[in-house]
Amino acid sequence: MKQKTDVLQGTLALMVLKTLDVLGPQHGYGIARRIEQISGDLLAVNQGTLYPVLLKLEQEGAIASEWGASENNRRARFYRLTREGRKQLQAETKDWEQTAAIIARFFDAKAEDLP
Amino acid sequence: MRALRRFLHRVVNLVTKRTQEERLREEIDEHIALQTAENLRAGLSPIEARRQAMLKFGGVEAMKQDYRAERGLVFIENLVGDLRNAGRTIRRMPGLAAVIIVSLAIGIGVNTTIFSWIQMVLFEPMPAVRGAANFLMVEPRAETGGYSGASWLEYRDLQSQVPALRDIVASQMVAFNVGETGRTERTHGQLVSGNYFSALGLKPAIGRFIRPEEAERPGTEPVVVISYDYWQTRFRGAPGAVGQKLRVNERELIVVGVAPKDFQGTMVPLKFELWAPATMAPALLGGTRDLEDRSTRAFSLIGMLRPGATREEAQAEFSTAMAQLARDYPEASAGIGGEILSFWDAPRGPQRFLISGLAILQGVMLLLLLAVCGNTANLMLARGSTRQREMAVRVALGAGRWRIVSLVLSENMLLAFLGAGLGATIAVWGTTALRVAPMIGAFPILFPTRVDEFTLAFAMLLGAACGLIFSAPPAVHLARLDPQDGLRSSSNTPPRSRARKVLMGVEVGLAMVVLIAAALFLESFRSARQTDPRFRPEGVLLAAYDLSGRNPDEASEREFAARLLERLRSLPDIDSAAIATNVPVDLHGMPRRSFTVQGRVRTEAGQDRAITNTVTSGYFKVMGIPLLEGNDFAEMRDKTAPAQAIVNEEFVRHYLNGEDAIGRRIQRRSGSFAIIGVARNSVYDAVGELAQPAMYFSYRDLPEEQGEIHLRTRSGNETALTSEARAVLRDLDPMLPLYDVRTFSQHIERNLYLRRIPARMFAVLGPLLLGLAAIGIYAVVSYAVARRTKEIGVRLTFGATSGRIVLQIIRESLGAITLGSAIGWVLALVISVRVMTKGGVNLPVFLGVPAILLGVATLACWIPARRASRIDPMAALRHE
Repeated sequence: MKQKTDVLQGTLALMVLKTLDVLGPQHGYGIARRIEQISGDLLAVNQGTLYPVLLKLEQEGAIASEWGASENNRRARFYRLTREGRKQLQAETKDWEQTAAIIARFFDAKAEDLP
Repeated sequence: MRALRRFLHRVVNLVTKRTQEERLREEIDEHIALQTAENLRAGLSPIEARRQAMLKFGGVEAMKQDYRAERGLVFIENLVGDLRNAGRTIRRMPGLAAVIIVSLAIGIGVNTTIFSWIQMVLFEPMPAVRGAANFLMVEPRAETGGYSGASWLEYRDLQSQVPALRDIVASQMVAFNVGETGRTERTHGQLVSGNYFSALGLKPAIGRFIRPEEAERPGTEPVVVISYDYWQTRFRGAPGAVGQKLRVNERELIVVGVAPKDFQGTMVPLKFELWAPATMAPALLGGTRDLEDRSTRAFSLIGMLRPGATREEAQAEFSTAMAQLARDYPEASAGIGGEILSFWDAPRGPQRFLISGLAILQGVMLLLLLAVCGNTANLMLARGSTRQREMAVRVALGAGRWRIVSLVLSENMLLAFLGAGLGATIAVWGTTALRVAPMIGAFPILFPTRVDEFTLAFAMLLGAACGLIFSAPPAVHLARLDPQDGLRSSSNTPPRSRARKVLMGVEVGLAMVVLIAAALFLESFRSARQTDPRFRPEGVLLAAYDLSGRNPDEASEREFAARLLERLRSLPDIDSAAIATNVPVDLHGMPRRSFTVQGRVRTEAGQDRAITNTVTSGYFKVMGIPLLEGNDFAEMRDKTAPAQAIVNEEFVRHYLNGEDAIGRRIQRRSGSFAIIGVARNSVYDAVGELAQPAMYFSYRDLPEEQGEIHLRTRSGNETALTSEARAVLRDLDPMLPLYDVRTFSQHIERNLYLRRIPARMFAVLGPLLLGLAAIGIYAVVSYAVARRTKEIGVRLTFGATSGRIVLQIIRESLGAITLGSAIGWVLALVISVRVMTKGGVNLPVFLGVPAILLGVATLACWIPARRASRIDPMAALRHE
């Protein structure tokens, strides 16, 4: 149970970083919308879970936040990627691709391929 | 790195909690507003749009919890919250909290005080000396069992013959008259071997210590080292003190150095001010033969093991060496072996007595503290059951078991630490009070106890242990609570908890043990004081003089004593007067000397020994010891009578098989004495001792430089004699101080001092414990009764009389109390039979204590029970 949230949180964090990388500064709702559009179900029910992740990333220094005006001219908190966040994103993207490649190779491998 | 940054943020967030919380609320609002707007655009009704937005966002509270968990240090926040809550809870019950804190503080304070004493005796027996606890006593021991001390020559031999010990140090305690003629002052010091200070690892405050060669042979430089306090008080701490001359026993000594602060010698708790080389003994002690005579065993020896050597090796080498000495010098050393003892086990000085007494005391006091814990647990349990509903609500709202436990724990720990803090304060006060306790007497005594970080840590540890002990029952009880039951059942139903009664019983049992121990202790002390010493101390004044500084010959010593007695006896208020070398019931006991007596054939090797005192005629009259046969000694100026001796009944029984003693001769090294009388047995070393053989010799035959003047007053007010006695002595010799003036009763009291410390503690703690037990029972019963208000109301409505109800409540509580006290009583009986060697079971104590305890317990039950039985039944039934 706990592990599942961890995995979710980990991937969620990566998605947040990537979103901010692609779209530039965004408020929480914008990030949630974007992730929802791309990943479908993941945030469909529990958009709120995004906020603890944002806080965690901010406390780690990967993102920074400041107040700004939203589309309907209300005060909203805008998050942006820091230099450190960008580095982190690169590193984690690489990690992720590596992991994905390894897992993919495992799934492709058949018994007769082994020496 | 990242984790660290996150942690730092969290710490900061602890403080900025509020603004963070607002920020989150604002973000959520904004998020939902944006989603609602989106939904409106999609064509939903405003209400539905908002509902869908909320649904999509998910559980706000759960998210907030996650957010908070992410933001801060939940553990610390919870702890702070718990402590705040605990503080509130405690403030709501000030009376109860005060009782708990004060009783804990007393328990912890007393334990900590005793611990600081044990710590002193065991671990820091010599202040200012590092690792003093590693020193061993090197004690020659006569086969008759007495620790005789070592002679100087023996010490010199042993130095090379016990290689397992690094440096053996010799010291001898002496009393000096310091100062100029007419203004002399009695000061205590030690004559020491040359390695004394270096072996102890000391550094002088100023100047230097005694050099080894200065204690090689007699006649070297007359040097002296003074104590730090002496330097401060007599020389005002001036550096010029070094090099000054000090007149000691009519000899000029040069002050060469000052001992480090707090150093008080090697015979703690005795406090010495001067240290001179042992080789000064003949010069300072009027030509004593201490340095040449192997049978003058005046020195005590200590030493530390060489690295790698074991105590067994040291013991073996020491035994071999002593056996060799016994062969080489049968005259002086036959029958004397040796024993290596721990420092705290020293045969002279109070350590051995202290450590066993203190260990018992500590055990008893820990039991007392346990009783206090039981009390507190009982109160907490009773309170806890009234809080069932509160806890049930907490559980229902989602608090975990562990949160409930930590809530209870933090409350109790707060109480425990408050108690421990107050207890530490009591310990500081108690230790200081004991330290400065006025010590009247011949010897300057200072117990170097103090409260240091170890003692404080001990206090806190006790506090934590207590907190855990008395937290456990209520915590377990509440954590097991089923919220459904807790909410449903009215708080008026008594919880089915046997724990409370068990605890009450245990506590009363413990109180019983401690009270009986206290009573026995007091009883033995009282009986020691009231036991007939078989002489009459009332109305006797004691005072000492010492001619040793001036090397008098025997004739002048005799003449001085004779003239002194003549003058004293001519005073109008004096009924009788005498001089003796020793006073019974002294801290260090009476000397035992070897002898042979005509008509006794010894079969074993070795020599007969008996307590010896040298006295003038009139001694038995002053002391009120009747002569059963024969006569008193001849007058001092009588030159015709032969050398005389008087023995006691026990001497006759033990050495002469009860045959006629008069006329037989006692042979000692100093000559041959005819027995001219038999005195009744009396007490010599301690009140309550078994009869000991003793012999008295006459001052006329064996005059001494030192004397204890015994004066019996006619008027009954012996202290009034002091100035007259002083005047008489000043008249005879203006340079001689009369010192150690005290009444005989004071003399006995002062030697009971060490016994009196634990006795006093018990005298205070016995009633205290009784009070604690009573408070405990009272509190528990009143809580239990308060919780049964409804039941009592029903009973009263149905016609029960209040008397019956009182009786029933008392009967219910007394069951546990009686069982507990019965167990405690049996336990105390077993202990007393094991520990108390002499005398049977003390019936008054073993019957009286339970009677008092049960009486008080009944009273403690009766008060709340009666109050409960007097309520208006209607009011009781309305009571929720």
